[in-house]
Amino acid sequence: MTTFALVLGALLAIACVVFVSRPFLREPAVATDGDRLYAPDAAARRRLSLAEERDRALAALKELEFDHRTGKISDDDYRAMIGPLRREAAEALKALGG
Amino acid sequence: MRKRSPARLIVALSVAATLAIFLLYTAIAGSGTATIKPSQLTNRAGKVQIVGTVVGPVTGNEYAAGGKRFRMRDIGGVKAVPVVYHGDVGALFKPGQHILVTGRLSHGVFVAERDSMLTKCPSKYLPKKS
Amino acid sequence: MTELGRAALVVCLGLCVYATVAGAIAAHERRRRLAVSAQNALIAALGAAAVAGAVLLTALLRHDFSFTYVADHTSRKLPGFYTFSAFWGGQEGSLLLWLLVLLAYAALAVYFNRIAAREVIAWVVPTLGLVASFFALLLVAVASPFETQPAPADGLGLNPSLQNPYMVIHPPMLYLGYVGLTVPFAFAMGALLSGRTDERWIVATRRWTLAAWTFLGIGQLLGAHWAYVEVGWGGYYAWDPVENAALMPWLAATAFLHSVMVQEKKGMMKVWNMLLVILAFCLSIFGTFLTRSGIINSIHSFTQSSIGPWFLGFICLVTAVSLALVFWRLPLLRAKTKLESVVSREATFLYNNLLLVALCLTILWGVTYPLLTDAIRGESVTVGRPYYDFFLRVFGLPLLLLMGIGPLVAWRRASWSSLKRTLWIPSAAALAVGLLIILLGGGSSLPGLLAYSFSAFVLASIVLEFVRGTAARRAVAGGGYLPAFADLVARNRRRYGGYVVHAAIVFLAIGIAGSSVYQSIYETGTRPLRPGDTVKVAGYTYVFRQLINRPNVGNHSEIRACFDVFRGSSSLGEQCPGKNFYFREQQTSSEMSIASSWLTGEDRDVILGGVTKNGAVFVKILVKPLINLIWLAGFVFVVGCVITLWPDAREERRLAERYGEAGALAQA
Repeated sequence: MTTFALVLGALLAIACVVFVSRPFLREPAVATDGDRLYAPDAAARRRLSLAEERDRALAALKELEFDHRTGKISDDDYRAMIGPLRREAAEALKALGG
Repeated sequence: MRKRSPARLIVALSVAATLAIFLLYTAIAGSGTATIKPSQLTNRAGKVQIVGTVVGPVTGNEYAAGGKRFRMRDIGGVKAVPVVYHGDVGALFKPGQHILVTGRLSHGVFVAERDSMLTKCPSKYLPKKS
Repeated sequence: MTELGRAALVVCLGLCVYATVAGAIAAHERRRRLAVSAQNALIAALGAAAVAGAVLLTALLRHDFSFTYVADHTSRKLPGFYTFSAFWGGQEGSLLLWLLVLLAYAALAVYFNRIAAREVIAWVVPTLGLVASFFALLLVAVASPFETQPAPADGLGLNPSLQNPYMVIHPPMLYLGYVGLTVPFAFAMGALLSGRTDERWIVATRRWTLAAWTFLGIGQLLGAHWAYVEVGWGGYYAWDPVENAALMPWLAATAFLHSVMVQEKKGMMKVWNMLLVILAFCLSIFGTFLTRSGIINSIHSFTQSSIGPWFLGFICLVTAVSLALVFWRLPLLRAKTKLESVVSREATFLYNNLLLVALCLTILWGVTYPLLTDAIRGESVTVGRPYYDFFLRVFGLPLLLLMGIGPLVAWRRASWSSLKRTLWIPSAAALAVGLLIILLGGGSSLPGLLAYSFSAFVLASIVLEFVRGTAARRAVAGGGYLPAFADLVARNRRRYGGYVVHAAIVFLAIGIAGSSVYQSIYETGTRPLRPGDTVKVAGYTYVFRQLINRPNVGNHSEIRACFDVFRGSSSLGEQCPGKNFYFREQQTSSEMSIASSWLTGEDRDVILGGVTKNGAVFVKILVKPLINLIWLAGFVFVVGCVITLWPDAREERRLAERYGEAGALAQA
């Protein structure tokens, strides 16, 4: 029993080591440039932040319409709030390049 | 026109309100019950809760006028204190069991409040059996 | 085979440490292959832990008593069901279960988010690795399930109180909850360490947090039901430290689930969310520390064990490091917008959070008070039930009301005219119910009256939301009401699933109020009952018929005191409470008799107190109105959570497009 257990244990250890070394075994020689973790450059980050703003503005617009239709917001409030929200959404879309 | 965000003010007021309610409550309702070991009972007045091990012999009936009589000692201690108890006895009650009872010391005997016994649920994490 | 188990745990520890160290280096120096290697290490660690688990399970099922753990927690006669659940019946096994669940969560969370949250993942891996290393270290060095001994003929058996189906389901559910809170915590740390403090980490962990929160809630309800049905004292929650240990992280997680909505929609409350998720995670570790260390006297006795200081040290480390990280990244956590009005949905979320956190912290204070007084005064002082009940009402009732108001308030700024229009129906419902309660004689308890009135308010507002929403949908898309309703819920899963969950909480509140404030109790005084004696309680008549003695029922003996129950002249059958005495374990269990009415939700509980030598009995009878609403609430809760968790293809596409867009320009 003991030898069986030891053999299984050794197999487990080996399997784990192999699995952990897999990235290095698959690409043994890569230049440091090719080994870089993904990191967005400034332009990509800006685009992402703009995309988030656009989604947020569009969602707020949609929610305002829904709240108005279900009676949570009066017509006056709706008229007062829709303008600025539409402008925000338009700006976000424009900044992203439509 | 930029308005100062009221959020900070709200948070500050809430914290103050909570503390106020809290202090008011503890002032009115008083503190809780002290939990001590049977060995700390000597000359102690007032209501306390004691935690210890049940020591036999166990006599009497908890529903009869005389109550159930047994003794309690510190967990891991030696000196035992006599206890008289009325009311529900925990399901696991027996000599050697850890229990908690609330009551007062009266003429050298700990008189427990009715139904105040707590026997501990089966321990999941017992140390090695000796 | 214990050597295999021990070896597997050592391998697991090594892999977790590697994942932590290599992952941290890879994240810091931005090395891709090393980062993937660290991720693989977490998955491999899961495999190693699974091997250890398999070894333990096999030993349990084979009754291998050379394993000290198996001998301590099972016996040959133990039904297979409970032999299986003995896996988590003790300290070492339950730690192994924790580790398994943790690594499973870790592997899955990392795998599913490896593209969408790419930048954050690099730091999530070492964080998860650190937590896993802690538990693996405990298992290797402090509490190993693989201790051996000369095998005795039979094991010690499982305590009879633990021999019920709840033992099989309650701990795993709780663990899925507790451990699941590690995932949002790890992603939060990942966000801080990588500097990517936008919504990405919240979006990535939203479903994981919700799932963990659901499991934790269900686990607690199961525990309450277990206490009610099996322990037999007529109650379901005793504000016991071990119970509170699960409630506190759940409350913090509830607050977190709400405040992340504000961050997603408005870009506000970023620092608050960080602090909340740290609090929830620390409370979950603190909870397991309380339960295992035996440091607090509670009805759940866990004797002093050496494991306490380890947990305490770990909590201190985690708290210190995570708070330092938050402080370091404070500039990045500036809000994009500010709170514009105290009457707005953002504000109601803020109030909701403050109330939840206040309740959570008062419970925490009550739990740690004995520890603090012991340290300062030399004797521990426990706070009683009244303390908790008081604060539950002070914070819980406003929370209940807020559940009805919040959804009806608009974002940014709600005008009084809009509020008046939307709130008048729920207010009218609340007033009507309140008057009805007073007329029915329930006005004696103000908390009960308020609880019911507020519940009516919330239910009315929820129903209105569904009705108005369906009407609006129908106005846009046409068609019948039912398709419009289905479409409405399908398009707004989070909102309407959330409303269903709110309804569940309302049922819970009604059930709790009814069964506590409006219950009726009878207790036999000094003169015990003899056959033929009658007891009247809450309109029911109990007649003691006979005492039955069954000296040999398998592994125990039974005593039952049978009562015939009548309401007026109609018979409601019999109730036979009693006690069981287990031979091998030398222990008695109280078998409470519960008669439930599904129509009124009421329970009649009869507990056998004592039996005199000549067969006379002492009993306690509790009539608890509406208590079954609590268990019904559990089912509604699950339904609501499932709706909210259900994947939304449209939303997935939008998110993929958003994060894909930015990634399209990047290298691999």
